[in-house]
Amino acid sequence: MAILNITYMGQSADYELALDAHTSDADIKRIAIEVVRAGGVRGLHVPDLPGNAFVSFVVDRLRGTGGEQRIYLRPKVPFGAPARRRCAS
Amino acid sequence: MRIVMCGIGALGSTAVQLLRNVAAELRLVDFDRVESKNLAAQWFVKQSLHKNKAEAARLQLANFYGAKAEALGVRLAATNAAQLLAGCDLAVDCFDNADSRITLSQAATTAGVPLLHAAISADGTFGLVRWDERFTADREDAPGQPTCEGGEHLPMIGLVGATLARAIQDFVASGARHDYLVSMSGVMRTS
Repeated sequence: MAILNITYMGQSADYELALDAHTSDADIKRIAIEVVRAGGVRGLHVPDLPGNAFVSFVVDRLRGTGGEQRIYLRPKVPFGAPARRRCAS
Repeated sequence: MRIVMCGIGALGSTAVQLLRNVAAELRLVDFDRVESKNLAAQWFVKQSLHKNKAEAARLQLANFYGAKAEALGVRLAATNAAQLLAGCDLAVDCFDNADSRITLSQAATTAGVPLLHAAISADGTFGLVRWDERFTADREDAPGQPTCEGGEHLPMIGLVGATLARAIQDFVASGARHDYLVSMSGVMRTS
């Protein structure tokens, strides 16, 4: 089992799932779209989540504090501060 | 203990003010200058306008809190990174671009200096504080993509900056290397 942590629009939640060791990033994103739409992730239910919501997101595969596999699906963080293009002018 | 803070912009300046009582010497590195647009999103005051950011932060620490720091107003590059890290026990990456993060990571690895990264997402909804051994620098969507100075994400900058300061504090106190994920749901320790 692995814990998939999904961060979207400022909300972050865990989802437990069985994964094969070779599951691709694209598969992770596809699974995330389905479970977030379906309400399978407690605290992160977006029925109309766009199919491309996670296209530019990053998948990190790490070990948790208890040794469990943790997968983080998260926005890119290239900045020391957010990008101007997203800011109100 | 000596800590080198690389990048004294939104996250770097916010963390620096929260490290004013840390049990370590601070070395502040940034080549840039304070512009009026920075006042909305960074820990700088009007009296610091046009000063080098590292020097401005040093002066604010001294004038507001009587805290000492060393300021180096230079751009970190492969050619001077070893010199900037010399004598430091911890390096902190608050840069705003992948190239600088990678240059610092390579230099810290070579020098054997532990390195802690902090970064925030473009929409200001998410941040990371992560040690170098588990960090990969994300690329900007476009090279040289500018950063926000509007200030609408200041609370999130504060949250990520405070988390970074706490991670540094824990390292100074006990050598602990905790990673954190910061969202509007809260701050989650991830290692």
